[in-house]
Amino acid sequence: MIRLEGVGKRFARGDVEALRDVSLHVAPGEFVAIVGASGCGKSTLLRLVAGLVPPSSGQVVLAGTPVVGPRADTAMVFQAPTLLPWADVLRNVTFPLRLMKQAAGDTEARARALLATAGLAGFEHRLPRELSGGMQQRVAICRALLQQPRVLLMDEPFGALDALTREEMSLELLRIWSGLQMAVVFVTHSISEAVLLADRVVVMSPRPGRVAEIVPVNLPRPRGFGQEALPEFQAAAQRIRALIYGERLPRAA
Amino acid sequence: MRRSALPSLLVLVVLLLGWEAACRFIPIREFILPSPSAIWAQSYAVWPNLLRHTLATLGTVMWGFLASVAISLPLAMVIAASPAISAAIYPLLVVTQSIPKVALAPILIVALGANELPRVIVTFLVAFFPLVVGTVAGLLATPPELIELGRSCRASKLQELTRIRLPFAVPFVFGGLKVAAALAVVGAVVAEFVGADAGLGYLIQTSMAFFKTPLAFGAVLVLAAMGIVLFQVVSLAEKLLFPWSSGADQPPPGM
Ligand SMILES: Nc1ncnc2c1ncn2[C@@H]1O[C@H](COP(=O)(O)OP(=O)(O)OP(=O)(O)O)[C@@H](O)[C@H]1O
Ligand SMILES: [Mg+2]
Repeated sequence: MIRLEGVGKRFARGDVEALRDVSLHVAPGEFVAIVGASGCGKSTLLRLVAGLVPPSSGQVVLAGTPVVGPRADTAMVFQAPTLLPWADVLRNVTFPLRLMKQAAGDTEARARALLATAGLAGFEHRLPRELSGGMQQRVAICRALLQQPRVLLMDEPFGALDALTREEMSLELLRIWSGLQMAVVFVTHSISEAVLLADRVVVMSPRPGRVAEIVPVNLPRPRGFGQEALPEFQAAAQRIRALIYGERLPRAA
Repeated sequence: MRRSALPSLLVLVVLLLGWEAACRFIPIREFILPSPSAIWAQSYAVWPNLLRHTLATLGTVMWGFLASVAISLPLAMVIAASPAISAAIYPLLVVTQSIPKVALAPILIVALGANELPRVIVTFLVAFFPLVVGTVAGLLATPPELIELGRSCRASKLQELTRIRLPFAVPFVFGGLKVAAALAVVGAVVAEFVGADAGLGYLIQTSMAFFKTPLAFGAVLVLAAMGIVLFQVVSLAEKLLFPWSSGADQPPPGM
């Protein structure tokens, strides 16, 4: 579904080499998490796949065609909810489809159904500022899902949420994802979140950003927090931790 | 949101009573400082005349205000669209602001004739600047995340402007509109001082020429009321048309 072939990205401003020679395949319907130290190019990687910035070298291929700009079949969830302050929840959720002139007769009904799944029934006509941070982020996720993307890009979508909301929303995301044919690339700072959610965890190393290793997670689905105690879970988490901190800390474990 | 008007009303009444009392007990001549009752009596006596002058000023104010809106909004969009255009136009705008409009008015009247047009232009010149500045600030204050959201939805430059930047700028635009409404009254009076045969500015000048100070004071009070009413009309329009804007906890437009 997504193929990155030797992708490099250098920002002219500041002369930063954000990514070097990144190659990665994501299968249709696969859930891939990306972890790595701050500044190692995770957001840049997502923006490349989203077509928001062009690569300096290599190429990004999506469903067989090189990415040259934003596409209708990819959707992005940003770190902050980024809702339109003047539009109510329903109009925020339908905004991308209306902007791309893809709104159909059933768009609103689908949006309402999606909001109900996300526990936002009854909030359709509230303004973003009347919602809590967690609710706003759920609206942003509904907005991305309503586009029925084949590729969903999520940049630390739960980063600003408290631990409780975060866990609840992780499971909700998995439940929604399992019913759709959609590849997910999910950037996170939380190792346990990555292991809980993903089929594979891409560990990146910084300066310049490269793929250090791809750690497969062989836990059965549906996933749940009960699995955190399983040895497979612990082994994957340990491996990721070692890859991230191994370069900096003496092997303590 | 809505503060009670009672305390300020009370202060006003006390001030008026004090003024009235001062005029009664201290012998001040009426053409220097008329008492509130004298102002009311003299103004009320000629109310059809006062109304005619008020309507004349109101006309100039409205035309000047509309011209400000019609010119400022597109101008602000052009300025916000590119740093190069902004660098070319902004200094010129600042120059127009540093020219005293009172000095410009007689020149315009000689050039354009003693009609409504030069007065409307002076009103426009006084009123439009805060509107341009406010709108530009709003258009440029749009968070980059929202712009990126638009880009990821494949928005064109025009869509980005109309669907994201302009709506975001609405509270800023209304901030500018409120200031412009108040300034338009100032501009109209300045123009009327210089060249007019009607209007409250004209009335103030002619009254003072004949030492009819109470009537001049009456005209000043009508002007103040006009400014307040226009300001409130703009606020009300904002509340009705863009309810999300007025209650929003957004910072007031930087001016
Ligand atoms: N638009 C840009 N212009 C210049 N440099 C940039 C730009 N965007 C990112 N960078 C640089 O590229 C590098 C990677 O940035 P990126 O935002 O992808 O990191 P990240 O892994 O997402 O970090 P974090 O986990 O803190 O979000 C950083 O060194 C950053 O300074
Ligand atoms: Mg990032």
